[in-house]
Amino acid sequence: MADTQVLQNILRDEQRLPRVPEPGVMVIFGASGDLTARKLVPALYDLAAQRRLPLEFAVVGLSRTHMSHEEFRGKLRKALEEHRPGEVSDDVWESFASGVFYLPGDSKKWETYDELKDLLKRLDSERGTQGNRAFYLSSSPSLFPAIVENLGEAGLNEGEDGGWSRLVVEKPFGRDLRSAQDLNSELQRYFDETQIYRIDHYLGKETVQNILALRFANGIFEPLWNQHYVDHIQITVAEDIGVGTRGAFYEEAGALRDIVQNHVMQVLCLTAMEPPVTFDAESVREEKVKVLKAVRPIPEDRVEDYAVRGQYERGWVFGEEVPGYREEENVDPESVTETYVALKLFVDNWRWARVPFYIRAGKRLPKKATEVAIQFHSSPHTPFAHDDTEGLAPNVLVVRIQPDEGLSLKIGAKVPGTGFEVSSVNMDLLYGTAFLEEAPDAYQRLLLDLMLGDPTLFIRADEAEGAWKILDPVMRHWSEMREVSFYPAGTWGPEEADALLERDGREWRRP
Amino acid sequence: MIGEPRQAPGGGRMSVGQIERELGKLRTNDDGTLALRSSVLNLVVVTDEESAQEITDSVSRLAGRHPARAVVFIADPEGESTVDVRLSAYCNVRGGGGAQVCAEQVTIHAEGPPAQHLESFAGPLLVPDLPVFLWYPGEFSPRSQEFAAMADLADRIIVDSAASENHETCLREIATLIEDPEMPAIGDLQWVGLSPWRSLLADTFGAPERAGDLERIESAEVLYAPGGENRALLLVGWLASTLGWKPESANRGGQNIEFSGPSGRISVVLSPGSPDARLRRIRLYSSEYSYQVSRHRELSDVRTTVMQEDELVAERTVHLGSFDLGVLVGEELSYRGRDEAYEGALRAAVEILDL
Repeated sequence: MADTQVLQNILRDEQRLPRVPEPGVMVIFGASGDLTARKLVPALYDLAAQRRLPLEFAVVGLSRTHMSHEEFRGKLRKALEEHRPGEVSDDVWESFASGVFYLPGDSKKWETYDELKDLLKRLDSERGTQGNRAFYLSSSPSLFPAIVENLGEAGLNEGEDGGWSRLVVEKPFGRDLRSAQDLNSELQRYFDETQIYRIDHYLGKETVQNILALRFANGIFEPLWNQHYVDHIQITVAEDIGVGTRGAFYEEAGALRDIVQNHVMQVLCLTAMEPPVTFDAESVREEKVKVLKAVRPIPEDRVEDYAVRGQYERGWVFGEEVPGYREEENVDPESVTETYVALKLFVDNWRWARVPFYIRAGKRLPKKATEVAIQFHSSPHTPFAHDDTEGLAPNVLVVRIQPDEGLSLKIGAKVPGTGFEVSSVNMDLLYGTAFLEEAPDAYQRLLLDLMLGDPTLFIRADEAEGAWKILDPVMRHWSEMREVSFYPAGTWGPEEADALLERDGREWRRP
Repeated sequence: MIGEPRQAPGGGRMSVGQIERELGKLRTNDDGTLALRSSVLNLVVVTDEESAQEITDSVSRLAGRHPARAVVFIADPEGESTVDVRLSAYCNVRGGGGAQVCAEQVTIHAEGPPAQHLESFAGPLLVPDLPVFLWYPGEFSPRSQEFAAMADLADRIIVDSAASENHETCLREIATLIEDPEMPAIGDLQWVGLSPWRSLLADTFGAPERAGDLERIESAEVLYAPGGENRALLLVGWLASTLGWKPESANRGGQNIEFSGPSGRISVVLSPGSPDARLRRIRLYSSEYSYQVSRHRELSDVRTTVMQEDELVAERTVHLGSFDLGVLVGEELSYRGRDEAYEGALRAAVEILDL
């Protein structure tokens, strides 16, 4: 038996055993924040309890709040108990928590990084973490450049003794093309792009990944998935909730930055991309970037022809009267921030030439629904009498992402009777419900991929910039305008959004 | 149990057409709408009266992750010639649309001659184009014609090598089956139960400085309880086949085994002294390190330690995972094709028995 084989741990070299990452430490910046207690640590605890993390693993929380290791552990335990009472095993928690550490410090000061470096070295020697580090930036985005610079200057952008160093960045990746480019160059000054993991938890959702499975694991859809057969595509990301307590954040962001730049653009990419040769990170991300590059730029002087923004007013959602956006907490009563966006885009490539992609995303719409609807051309000729086909609409294939994940196909069928009346019937296939169990949490999946060094489901720099580039003219135009269209809460957006499609002889579908 | 169980009235002998019609009715909701049928595989189970309830419960729990058309045979070839068919469905509402999805179960009591021709019932009831898993939760007779006829329908056979009173014979018989090119792939629940142990043991060698230690293992101890013999043997068989150990000799009823490995001799002690858990603890020793994976005082948890001489260098407690029958079978249903690691471990286990 060759030594090299043995060094690879041949006990693990088997397809029925799960892949377990190499030893390592995850350092969380902004560790006293909500995301750490609510998402990151529960996901890591679950991964550890389910034997998916290496034996030699540690978590270091870092933020300005003064706390001891024990206090930090206690706080995390309390948060975990709150989210899943009665499900936390004392012994497993104690074992996990013994690898959790806390370092109080100002992430803008270099002294903090000396201390961090010492702590990481100590963990390498005491807990066998092998010089491998993942730095998770969960702090305010305004601190990202300082943290990255300090990490770089402290030499923490490289693992210790041949180990690896990875950087995880939470969205938003900038607030326009310029700031995204600035952020990327800040990150890339100290970290190579292959070390950077931009996290959009949307891509960790099983249902979003299922778009890829649907398209590329089934031979019957792909031949129809192009301009020869498709009339247009509608992508809807609708929420029934309002901004709630996030008013201050939302005032700065708006729907375009909050949802469209990341989630909606990802759905657009997955819908329009060419089949990747393999399911590895570079092949998949390369195809996504090609879609973004192919999107026809929106002329800044004709934004109204392609984009509509709206804001919800007081209205009724499922039997409950809800306030308008301007009445929400921490929202300017004169605000023109958009809570709804509709866009018309074209993907100028061979596959999608002349096929419009209509996109809408908004809050306080009648229901929560995320879907991609592919409307096919009408049949070129119908042999049936006109009166007999009144109820017949073109075929629509709807890929529902949530809720009720599945497919729905609208097809023409004969209405029972002696004549030949033909009508449209919706056939539903709920592939999401074929498996009755709930899918694992998106953060669990993404954190494991991060530790394994698989960036397939993370955003590459040119993806983030590509998405901003499409939206930049719209944002610039809107920033100069003081008008916004209104829609009553509980309706499908402003009238201008309907007009966007009516001009093309089309209409929004009702999800 | 997943979802709401629905049962069809009646029973007795039914035709295939009647069974399909009644299953269709079971999927009809109170408001006249039809729930969807969800199936990713066919699961055919052959059991006896005594285990029937436990098996039916496990099958219903499997519906969550592996929605299937399940055909459960409660067979007694010795009795009077009778056939009794019962139908049920497990339906669940998912998502905001309120759509119902059902997994179906056909339970057939067969006694006397019909019990010797179960394949004649099973064949017509299989959902087309989906893989067929054949599960024998208890003892089975791999040399019988009945077994061969059922195996002909299957893509994978799931057995439990600990279900037989004679665990050695059972392992040998499965080893014969895996060499038969006509047989579909075979899975063993005793092997599935080892997965967390194998993974945890592999974890102890995850640090690069210890991966090389796999070559320097000098001795091992496996502590198990009566009933866990095959699990212990398969674990040692796996280590032997993966690490290139060749069994040389055994004494004390096969409990002390000597192997020759790439770097010398390895002594393994199989000790049936555990009071409870089928597999309680495994230890590996090299000249420098000792590795231990041991069930915790709470049997649901397991503690792993790595010692370098007298110093503790790594330690952790995690969930061992469930050994519920449904979970073990579910693991097998996730797997397609031949399991080469299992086959290697099984061959090595039989070599140990042959010493």
